[in-house]
Amino acid sequence: MFDLTEDPLDPGPVVEDVRHPGSGAVVVFLGIVRDEDHGRRVRYLEYDSYRSMAEKEMRKVGEEVLARWPATRIAMRHRFGRLEVGETALVAAVSAPHRGDAFEACRYAIDRIKEIVPIWKKEVWEDGEAWLEGHPVQG
Amino acid sequence: MHVRVRLFAGLKELAGGPEVVVDLQEGATVLDLEEQLSREYPRLRPLLASLAFAVDEEYKTRDYALHNNDEIALIPPISGGCDV
Repeated sequence: MFDLTEDPLDPGPVVEDVRHPGSGAVVVFLGIVRDEDHGRRVRYLEYDSYRSMAEKEMRKVGEEVLARWPATRIAMRHRFGRLEVGETALVAAVSAPHRGDAFEACRYAIDRIKEIVPIWKKEVWEDGEAWLEGHPVQG
Repeated sequence: MHVRVRLFAGLKELAGGPEVVVDLQEGATVLDLEEQLSREYPRLRPLLASLAFAVDEEYKTRDYALHNNDEIALIPPISGGCDV
């Protein structure tokens, strides 16, 4: 499962997608909308995406994870649209026979999302708003 | 030939819409498109240098040769996932 949705995220189905009898460990990461950034109070976030390509690039991240940690399974779901403080923006789940690989692979996947998956975030504060300067993609 | 250019995030707001169509000479590259955009949409100019380009949903370098009806996406520095 590698997809984007406008609906609130439920970690359950993402976890179930990677859980299997050979997996002794499942690591789940939730990215949550925080109430402040660089000292400014955040009212809400707006995520824009190139949806079809973002889903393709998320699948590529999944392939990279499997190439590095062949015994893992991975699933990721990212939300777009308006998200309130405290809501979940990203769910990533990785299963592995043992916890070490699951933690490492999950960390790798969420770092890679920030490098290649075309999703953008606007912060809306009490007194303004801005699209955040992110990570330039290496062409 | 012409190509469809899709815009996201701050670029979409600056250009006033999610898509523009750009006319280019046959054999034009991504770099030629970038220069054409800079002429036609001066407001996008400060952001062009930090962009990546995707053609039909694959990242391409600026020497990539475009084709009629290609869908090109301007990809500003991305900020998905999580900062924590």
